[in-house]
Amino acid sequence: MDLIETYIQEVTRRLPEKNREDIALELRSTIEDMLPDDYQEEDVKAALEQLGNPAKLAYGYMDRPMHLIGPRYFDIYVSLLKMILPIAVTISLIATIATFITGYDGEEAVMNIVFEIIGFGISSIIEVGIQTFFWLTIVFAILERVDHSKGAEPITQGLQKWSADDLKNITYVPKKRAITKVEVFGGLFWTAIWGTVYFYADHLFGVYEGGSSELNFVTPAVNQDVLLQYWPFILAIIALEVGLSIYKLIKKQWTKGLAIYNTVLQVIVSVVFVWIVTNPNLFKNEFTVYMTNLFSITEVQLETWIIAGSIIIFIVSAVISIIDGIRKARAS
Amino acid sequence: MSSLLNSLTTELRRGTLTLAVLSQLRKPQYGYSLVQLLEQAGIHIDQSTLYPLLRRLEKQELVTSSWDTSESRPRKYYVLSDFGVETFLQLKKEWMENSNQLLALLKGDEEDEDGFN
Repeated sequence: MDLIETYIQEVTRRLPEKNREDIALELRSTIEDMLPDDYQEEDVKAALEQLGNPAKLAYGYMDRPMHLIGPRYFDIYVSLLKMILPIAVTISLIATIATFITGYDGEEAVMNIVFEIIGFGISSIIEVGIQTFFWLTIVFAILERVDHSKGAEPITQGLQKWSADDLKNITYVPKKRAITKVEVFGGLFWTAIWGTVYFYADHLFGVYEGGSSELNFVTPAVNQDVLLQYWPFILAIIALEVGLSIYKLIKKQWTKGLAIYNTVLQVIVSVVFVWIVTNPNLFKNEFTVYMTNLFSITEVQLETWIIAGSIIIFIVSAVISIIDGIRKARAS
Repeated sequence: MSSLLNSLTTELRRGTLTLAVLSQLRKPQYGYSLVQLLEQAGIHIDQSTLYPLLRRLEKQELVTSSWDTSESRPRKYYVLSDFGVETFLQLKKEWMENSNQLLALLKGDEEDEDGFN
């Protein structure tokens, strides 16, 4: 076995095709220079050890970077990853839940559906996370290799060199006023859930009876036709809520404007809710009859309980939200 | 030598290697002759660093290379280009200034140390 040729091969196989021959020739002549006239295998070994690990030598010859993403792009890569990952995960979760609710035929028990949603939700989070990570990394690894401007400065989100003026574009966010990503994406998530539930309420709300192995859907609680009469208002509220979440995402902190927006939205939502709930035709007859028999109360009592109870809970939570927004906006 | 000191020394030397190599290339040299020249001057350079460095210098057009096939084995000779000579002289001047400044700093340091003793 020829150690010299093997060594040269170990170096050149790591190099681009076009350089191989020339570097091989030069290496061979260099190694021979290092050897005495009448050399033994020991001499060859000593010479090769002086040249060192063939991988190290080969990487020395290469112009390409030996890292996937270098210091120039690392900062913007991480920032983008942190920004895109939660968005992607939220969208996929919303999509998963929406698919389940819209595909729900009332046959299966709600608890089973919930477990299925959790299972699918987790797997879709993992899948979307991996996809996002993979594609973003690929894009930056390519950028790293294509960009030959050789600037050593890390580039920031404007893709420009940093200057003190950049600080003016960054808002200083005090901790007491800060809006967390969880709050923003949780809000979006909530909108998606109640929005879907609204359009499929007759499949979800109602009387369930425990069967031998699963829950049976006896009767829906609401008249879907009556409920759907309000769709333009619901759509408007969904749009406003999504707008609020995006506004929060951009502002990153509670401001006076945001607190006003939130207050107006909460008031509108409460008014529409009260309006819908107090519609005398909202609840299905079968439902009221079933419930009055079950609890042995009158129809009026039942409806008062349901309507008053839900209105109180709704308004209390709206007021809490309004106060919280205003308090945070005024904090310094 | 501790590994920290080792890596600091390597870092310190790294910048000077290019200058050292350039200084020896006013006359054509082939890889191994350059190693020997530098060793004689007491400068140790890893061969796995030197050969890639020569090719990089060639790519940057600071040196030119040619194969000499007249002897028993072919050898690749490197020599400074005109641009290389010009760059070398500027680098050399830069180095002289730098080392004078550093020397002044280090000397001041020594006086301080004497003061403590």
